[in-house]
Amino acid sequence: MGVGPTVDKLLKDYKGKIRLVVKMNPYKYRDFSHIAAEAVLAARDQGKFWEMHQLLLKKSPKLDRNSLIKYAQEIGLDLNRFIESLDTKKNTNTIERDKQLATSLDLYETPVFFINGRKVTGNRAYEYFKKIIDEEIKNEKR
Amino acid sequence: MKLLVLIIFLLTVSVSSAQEKRFEVPVGDSPGYGRANAEVTMIEFIDYQ
Repeated sequence: MGVGPTVDKLLKDYKGKIRLVVKMNPYKYRDFSHIAAEAVLAARDQGKFWEMHQLLLKKSPKLDRNSLIKYAQEIGLDLNRFIESLDTKKNTNTIERDKQLATSLDLYETPVFFINGRKVTGNRAYEYFKKIIDEEIKNEKR
Repeated sequence: MKLLVLIIFLLTVSVSSAQEKRFEVPVGDSPGYGRANAEVTMIEFIDYQ
């Protein structure tokens, strides 16, 4: 079980107070990690990042090219543009930039979170995130 | 006495949380969800597979 549902619940419970920023850190020895990152950024280019992000979390690990194209269709993307983006690896520079940032931060696993810069590694429980977020909101109000 | 202990405890907690290491992670033009000026920014490094 991934951390996706926990993050979803946090975004819902702290609506307006929290924002999520997603950076790619695909592991190079997994078959579909890179193409899945390309897919979510291709969806971003068509204004549907969040829809694709959530769909990939739901469908993982079924992330081969044909499945990704199916998901793109499901959320109503322009398929020609999407497929071109995948096949030309249009967003590789963005992915590489994120990976370099991850390396510079000494990150060798996923997921890793930075909550106002405070590092949280792995699939932590909701309460663990909640405690840090509550502290940050309190600090902000001081 | 109890009050004093409580005060010391609270001071310790606030000092230790203030000292926790914070990393500088640039948001850049990365995609996400929620208001850009939200009080809390959570950056996730993800691998979808």
